[in-house]
Amino acid sequence: MSAPLSPARTVALVARREIGMQLRSRSFLYGLLLTLAIFAGYGLLFSFIGSEGSSSTLGVTAEARALTPALQQAGQQQGQTVAITDVDRAGGEAQVRSGGLDALLTRGPDGFELIGQDSVDSTLQRIVTGTVGQQARDSALRSAGVDPATVDRAGTVGVSTLVPEDPLRGQRLGLAFAVAILLFFSLTSYGGAVAQGVVEEKSSRVVELLLSTIKPLHLLAGKILGLGAVGLLQLLILGAIGTVGALAFGVLTVPTAVLSALGLAVLWYLLGFFLYATLYASAGALVSRQEELQSAVAPLIFPLLIPFVIAVSVLPNDPRNGLATVLSFVPFFSPTLMPARAALGVAPWWQVLISALLTLGAIAVMVWVAARIYRNSVLRTGAKVSWREAISGR
Amino acid sequence: MLAIGGLAKRFGAVQALDGVTFDARPGELFGFVGGNGAGKTTTMRIVLGVLASDSGTVRWQGRPIDADVRRRIGYMPEERGLYPKMKVGAQLEYLARLHGMDVATARDAVRRWTERVGIEARIGDEVQKLSLGNQQRVQLCAALVHDPDVLVLDEPFSGLDPTAVETMSGVLREKADAGTPVIFSSHQLELVERLCDRVGIISAGAMVAVGTVEDLRTGDSTRYDVVGPPRGWADELAGVRVLGVEESPVGPRTRVELGAGADDQALLAAATAAGAVREFTPYRPPLTELYRDAVADHAPPRQEVAS
Repeated sequence: MSAPLSPARTVALVARREIGMQLRSRSFLYGLLLTLAIFAGYGLLFSFIGSEGSSSTLGVTAEARALTPALQQAGQQQGQTVAITDVDRAGGEAQVRSGGLDALLTRGPDGFELIGQDSVDSTLQRIVTGTVGQQARDSALRSAGVDPATVDRAGTVGVSTLVPEDPLRGQRLGLAFAVAILLFFSLTSYGGAVAQGVVEEKSSRVVELLLSTIKPLHLLAGKILGLGAVGLLQLLILGAIGTVGALAFGVLTVPTAVLSALGLAVLWYLLGFFLYATLYASAGALVSRQEELQSAVAPLIFPLLIPFVIAVSVLPNDPRNGLATVLSFVPFFSPTLMPARAALGVAPWWQVLISALLTLGAIAVMVWVAARIYRNSVLRTGAKVSWREAISGR
Repeated sequence: MLAIGGLAKRFGAVQALDGVTFDARPGELFGFVGGNGAGKTTTMRIVLGVLASDSGTVRWQGRPIDADVRRRIGYMPEERGLYPKMKVGAQLEYLARLHGMDVATARDAVRRWTERVGIEARIGDEVQKLSLGNQQRVQLCAALVHDPDVLVLDEPFSGLDPTAVETMSGVLREKADAGTPVIFSSHQLELVERLCDRVGIISAGAMVAVGTVEDLRTGDSTRYDVVGPPRGWADELAGVRVLGVEESPVGPRTRVELGAGADDQALLAAATAAGAVREFTPYRPPLTELYRDAVADHAPPRQEVAS
């Protein structure tokens, strides 16, 4: 028979519909496959760039041949294999042009000349200029009666660290990277799904029928919870596939580090999702048609993109970057930055805790604001409702 | 009984409702008629709690309406709306459950109502794949599936083909006969006249007439049709205004209106004196005419208030 529904049951019913519709739709599977493909693509790209950079080919003419052993030695010191071929000037140029050689080293009237096709790889350039400069200096020292080795010793700077260098640094970097990407994709795609869902109900007008029997807040809460759960499911599937794959291929060797990073990723996904879902839902409630949605949600990409870019471009070289550290405490930025810093091992637990609490506070405020905006604008059709009208309810 | 008392609502500078009062009784079909923007949809939205009124009351069985009563109302919004990508059966079941039905009862109701309106074969199809007429039938099911105590339908007949109109009329009559008050709005006045037990006419946000079509007619029973006497027989009678004359097979038909204090028996005597009277009947205007008169008599210019 029929009995009044408790708020919890209402929210659960709405959430269950969202989950069912999402899981049945093709976009869930395609989204999953696409994200996997992007991850695999990134992996391949990085290993390709890595392998590409570590060796280069250099042609040397007869006048420069004497430098060959010194060049090879310098290349080894830089971690770069330099394959050196003896060529004549014309043949060498032809090979550089065709791509067979990265560069040609020859001797012109005013000294050595390094010839590339349209540019010369900076590492190769450094190796060659360093070697030529060293040779010139050595011969000048010798003719002045000084042993170059003595000068070298006097000019050596030893590098050491007070804390032993982290042997897992490379792995941590990879993890931080993966976590940042995973969070960025999850937040944008499932935040977007919330906005999409709100507009779908508005544009199909079904919302009036729904709101004649349930409260706007319950409808909104059910939608956000349902879509959040689907996003979490996707995150866990991707995380599991990534972890198993990385451990199996030996990319990562420490399961505990991976698991703690994944755990933090889940925590921050939930915090970030609820924070951003409120924004996406409000943006969706302001417009009446799918076509208007893009422009309404476009501004939301910035607070997501900025920390993502910092996480993948600044943090790898400078994990203790001051700006990144400060931003990782700011709600809206913290969901991507804090887990990346934590994965890099530079964020102690108390920092994670403070940042999480700040984000929770922001969620509480945003839920209130979003509920207000949603209630005031979800039944208004036609022209786009302005943020100010929606908040004030006028 | 659903009693609506003194509803007022203002949108910015426009006074959309200005004291709307009427009631819908158990077992009756109540037709709600009025022009575009007269306030029909706003009134219905306030009854359903989708919109808040500035003042006035909505009472059910004597008590102010609350969420629990609203759950027991079947509603068809003017702007039709269903999830386009959801299957008919799943959608109706979902709506029934939101109204508080358990799974088994909801499934049973979905089957019963889809059969009743003739779309049981489409239960597994997405709503967007149905023709507009069939989507309307699903919409009717959506209003009925939770076995409501009251039906509030905004323009349920608009856009329906003749067979669907018959189905819809049949279903509404059935519900009313089973004791459910049914309120529906419509522009199709002949349909309202044929179908409804009582009618409410709204104009510029206020009710200008409420009652049975019969009441509305007799409340205004100062018009008579007189067939027989030659043209012009009543032109000079005191207190009588001739509304029109037309030919009929048994003689001219003169329609007259009695002024205040004029007596129908005196009119009859004057008619017999003028010639053989074949027919003498109070004129029963159709709803279209009542509506036109009511709206013309009462319609004040729409109030514009500086905000």
